[in-house]
Amino acid sequence: MNLPWDEILIGVALGAYTLGALALVIYFFSQDESFRKAGVPLAILGCAAQFVQLAVRFETTHVWPLLNLYGSLSLFSAMSVAIYIGFAFRYRLWFAGGFVLALAAIFLAYGVTWYEGTMPPVPSLQSYWAKIHVPIVVSSYAAFLVAFVFSCIYLLKYYAARSGTGSTARWLASFPSLPQLDAIVYRAVAIGLPLISIGIITGAMWAHEAWGAYWQWDPKETAALFSWIVYLAYMHLHTRHAWRGLRTNWVSVIGFASIIFCYLGVNIWISGLHSYKV
Amino acid sequence: MTAARALYADFVRTFGNVLFAVSLFVVWGVLTLFGVLIDQGRDPSVYFESYAAPIARAILRLSLDNVYHSPWYVGIIGLILTSLAVCTFKRVVPARLPALRPVKIESIPLHACFETAGDADSVRSRLAEFFAARGWRIRERIFGGIEWSFADKHNWARRGVLIAHAGFVILAAGTTLYWARGFSGEIALLDGQTSQIPNTGAVIRLDDFAYRIAPTQTKSGMVYQPIDYVSHVTASGKNGIPARMTVRVNHPIEIDDTLYYQASYGFGMRFSVTHDGRRDAALSGRTLLEGDTLDLPGTQRSVLYERFAPTVDKQTGMPTADPRVNNPAVVLGVSQAGAPLGEALVALGSRIDLGGGWGLEPQKYVMYSGFQYRHDPGVPLVGIGAFVLLTGLIISFYFVPARLYVRVDDIGAQRSSVGLAATTVKGYDVFESEFARLVVALKADHS
Repeated sequence: MNLPWDEILIGVALGAYTLGALALVIYFFSQDESFRKAGVPLAILGCAAQFVQLAVRFETTHVWPLLNLYGSLSLFSAMSVAIYIGFAFRYRLWFAGGFVLALAAIFLAYGVTWYEGTMPPVPSLQSYWAKIHVPIVVSSYAAFLVAFVFSCIYLLKYYAARSGTGSTARWLASFPSLPQLDAIVYRAVAIGLPLISIGIITGAMWAHEAWGAYWQWDPKETAALFSWIVYLAYMHLHTRHAWRGLRTNWVSVIGFASIIFCYLGVNIWISGLHSYKV
Repeated sequence: MTAARALYADFVRTFGNVLFAVSLFVVWGVLTLFGVLIDQGRDPSVYFESYAAPIARAILRLSLDNVYHSPWYVGIIGLILTSLAVCTFKRVVPARLPALRPVKIESIPLHACFETAGDADSVRSRLAEFFAARGWRIRERIFGGIEWSFADKHNWARRGVLIAHAGFVILAAGTTLYWARGFSGEIALLDGQTSQIPNTGAVIRLDDFAYRIAPTQTKSGMVYQPIDYVSHVTASGKNGIPARMTVRVNHPIEIDDTLYYQASYGFGMRFSVTHDGRRDAALSGRTLLEGDTLDLPGTQRSVLYERFAPTVDKQTGMPTADPRVNNPAVVLGVSQAGAPLGEALVALGSRIDLGGGWGLEPQKYVMYSGFQYRHDPGVPLVGIGAFVLLTGLIISFYFVPARLYVRVDDIGAQRSSVGLAATTVKGYDVFESEFARLVVALKADHS
């Protein structure tokens, strides 16, 4: 099926994210407000184009668009930007936008490489759970991506501040303080962890209907459990004063690596019940 | 007695330590990761084919080929549950539900001190009104002759972690219930075949099975996408009344609290077996499923019905990817005393010579449907546990229980000093801006 609107909207989103990332990365380094003013509308435009694309795709094909890597990666990048925009508006965090948009553009572009056209879903995916479980899980991944970006900025600021008091440290001093950055990471994880918990639970309910057991130690299930454990460890460590900050932010980085393995590694490299690529 | 107490203290100190709990999580995570990376439940030979011999031996000796049922895995979950219980009673309860007690205002990072007009009683009364109007719960206590006011917000949310821990325990109990009382199994029924489930006595007959394929042109070529697997069955449970039912993927049927799922399908095959030109009635009467073997009597030769090829390309003579039946054939493997001799693709209605006067002809295919059945009395408990766990997590993450410690002292001349400090269960940073706003509003109220 030829879907020109689909391709046009994806093109718009990719272009907006790329230009927006460029503008906001320059804003990150230069703190020139004009680049922020250029980057923010591009982020909003790209995000809106992606949600419209997913809606148009569903309306045109009548196939839930998140059942393959192309669709789910599209939602992943859109939700990452949407969650980031929410955080940025709430806490004035536009300085980090370039990195979120760059990652969103990379994941979206990678998703496009998996596009094979529209296919009817296999029987196991013909369930109302697809409309509940998949968006929740993908949104949790998106929240963890936002946490990952702020953890990286935390670590950058921490090590730069420790290594010297020169221009880099003065430049980084204009960003939120380390405890404030840590609180932002905590808030992003506090969105992601309940979502991935709900995602695992709804996935178990779906598996109970489709495969006869709510838990089968399928690679995807176990990889999601592993990520859940990592973020649970993050939450527990965050209650300890000595661990809160540097160490918990490293845990957040490890957590996102585990999410990427769970999301892409398992789908692509490991065969199992969740090997839905195209 | 002293040694026992010391042992108990060591146990509580170790299992009540958050870092110990996190270390257990890490070990649990690593074992889980092994389960993801290493194929589970395979034949030992598979590991020796996939890995170097020392690694394969290590996998098998450490039970990493069945890690989720290994003593390590079950043991680590047991240790986590123990740690969870100790942490709950020794750390979480005292930390989350702290007693009202006086504090050193200046030593708490979130604190403010100011002077205001009025004697101590009237200032306390205005403070109580101020906090009550903003949703804070006020309690007053006297310690060593000094009156303290305590204001709590979202105090109920202090139980969030307790609720999450309780959910984890309920979930574990639900899982244990399946191990203790549940069962599961698989059956494959040919069209028209009836079978009785040993655990329940339920009788199921497969009336017919069908599948639908949607050939779809993609960028990489033609894909034959399965879009429906459907089994029509007649089943009777304990009441003995037969009922017609339909089983599809995502739509299991329930008979006497046991669920039956559409799991697989395949093609059974009836072969005509001849010896010296005469039909062997015993061997020809059987219907083989894919993977079944025919042993030829009086020889060491056997024939494996490897798989059904629904469509063979008439030009190339090779099986195609199309799973719809159109010019079918079967793939047979012949072996002598367990040693494979070769493979052959044999069209239905064609005879193959097996040597020693034996011949075989695939005659007719019969579809079979594979069902998985499962009785899990722990499901409701697991569901409740998951719900409770989630509720606890949401309460813990989205509500910040905060406590204000307020001390008002007369300083003479109808003036009082107000000391105010705040603590939360999530540290001070998350409450910093709210505390600052509160202090500004408080000072404005008393100016």
